[in-house]
Amino acid sequence: MTSIRTVLGNLAAIYRRELQGYFASPLSYIIAGVFWLLGGFFLTVILLSPDGLIAQVARQDQAGQLGLGAPSVDVAYEFLQYYLGLLGSLSMFVLPILSMGLYAEERKQGTLELLATSPITNWVVALGKLMAVVTFYTTMVLPLMFCEAIALGASEPAISPLLMIIGHGGLILLAASVLSLGMFLSSLTSSTVLSAFMTFALVMFLWIVDALARSLPGASGEALAHLSLLKHFTDFTQGILDTSGIVLFVSYILLGLFLTAQSIETLRFQRN
Amino acid sequence: MIDVEHLHKVYGSTTAIRDVTFRVEPGEILGFLGPNGAGKTTTMRILTGYLPATSGTARVADFDVHQDSMAVRQRIGYLPESPPLYLDMTVAGYLNFVGRIKGLSAGDRPRQVDSAMARCGLADKRDVLIRKLSKGYRQRVGIAQAIVHDPPVIVLDEPTSGLDPRQNNEMRQLIRSLAGDHTIILSTHILPEVSATCNRVAIINQGQVVAIDSPEALMSRLAGELTYEVEVRGDLSAIEHHLGTVAGVAQVERLSPEIATEHHYRFRVTAEQAAVPGEAIAATLVQAGLGLGELRRQQVSLEDVFLNLTTEEPAEEPAAAPAPNETDPETAANGF
Repeated sequence: MTSIRTVLGNLAAIYRRELQGYFASPLSYIIAGVFWLLGGFFLTVILLSPDGLIAQVARQDQAGQLGLGAPSVDVAYEFLQYYLGLLGSLSMFVLPILSMGLYAEERKQGTLELLATSPITNWVVALGKLMAVVTFYTTMVLPLMFCEAIALGASEPAISPLLMIIGHGGLILLAASVLSLGMFLSSLTSSTVLSAFMTFALVMFLWIVDALARSLPGASGEALAHLSLLKHFTDFTQGILDTSGIVLFVSYILLGLFLTAQSIETLRFQRN
Repeated sequence: MIDVEHLHKVYGSTTAIRDVTFRVEPGEILGFLGPNGAGKTTTMRILTGYLPATSGTARVADFDVHQDSMAVRQRIGYLPESPPLYLDMTVAGYLNFVGRIKGLSAGDRPRQVDSAMARCGLADKRDVLIRKLSKGYRQRVGIAQAIVHDPPVIVLDEPTSGLDPRQNNEMRQLIRSLAGDHTIILSTHILPEVSATCNRVAIINQGQVVAIDSPEALMSRLAGELTYEVEVRGDLSAIEHHLGTVAGVAQVERLSPEIATEHHYRFRVTAEQAAVPGEAIAATLVQAGLGLGELRRQQVSLEDVFLNLTTEEPAEEPAAAPAPNETDPETAANGF
């Protein structure tokens, strides 16, 4: 009955509607604007300020010529890692705002009743929505990535494009995980504000887990490190592409999708 | 086309609907009539597959709404109480989206969207954002959304709530024009609407169907009873005495005591079976020297049937006062 074709058709319909919603909303332009402003500001400050990276490299070069050489550092690599970390932290503030309306808005406007009485499964709706919001986030990251590429293009030794791709891929996977869980939280309420707060609380929790993972000694710390999204993201920024990280991100994404589909299903059994 | 048997729905400790059974034949318009919280919305939500029933079966176009939910959803168009609109979309964009998720093929979609817009009088609002539409137009988009995939069954929950009288009229015409090709269930708590649009009426109260018949048949059920409303000036006991002695009068009941200060009283006089005592009442009162202010023969309306049916029953089971959407501020505000 539900062939792959109809599922894909439905997925495309939800995806397009949701994405169109982001591009039609002034709020998403404001978020993107602030993200770009801060991202660009950090990029400029790190690179071009009097104490910036470029000035430091220049001084080091001079020192090297005088024979006082410090051990050489791969500046481009260090910069990328540092900057991606910054973008990751910045995103943590932005993602709750991107995910807050995913379901809360549908519940508020009553359109969930349309989706729930259409021949379309909760899974498809959730996946379509997640794909749309991840696409929107990706369009936010791309221009900054372009700026980085310009800045790093002149570096010596040249930075490997693979490193850029792994790092930014990690950033997007991290965002997709948070957005997926945020989507679930959004499905719990019809208030977008509450939904944003809950997602932000989740982000705080991720930070705490990461901090504990770094500070706790022994097996417990290690166990936490395996589950910490941010820890694995840090690996990605260092250009380490390990399967356990990918598996973890995908697991979080699937968990979010699963919980969302379940939460929407149980809505039917509630008195509403 | 629609076959509902012994449907029960329990929310926690309250029963929203109990033992609801009815059938709707193809091409019919069935009106659900009942006060707010009677279980109209709950019944409709079960039919559309939005809510699962606690027990009982409901079949739409020969598919069980629970077991073959997807098949039913494809064959049903549903306008919930508040139209499910995406305010940031244009009318055409929105209808296209609904067409897609309802499973219309890409080839059929433009034609279906156009025809839904034409039927609902939205052709000139094609590229207008739904946010900018008035309440009446939004309601039309809601209907267009329910018919865009040309479903055999259309379920409309209070399609005329919040519309002005002219829009109301247009909406009724639109609904009538849909009958025949489509089987329609609509709910309302506005009585004239039912007699204006529906072939059959199901009066639902406290979660139970208390009567189901054509509007005419329901009215003729009560038509055996002839009543007059009389306004008289004078001494109360004298009036009551004289009214009681008129031949053919079965019962005299005093109404609105607040006018009593000016020695004006209103009464409802019920005639005996087959008696028409109007003239005799007037003659008796005038002869007695009492001031006859008004004498009006009461037409039995659907409203009387409704009040009659929905105020008698509840006494037996007061605990069963269910209100599935009592918490919904919009419903509560509408008030019957």
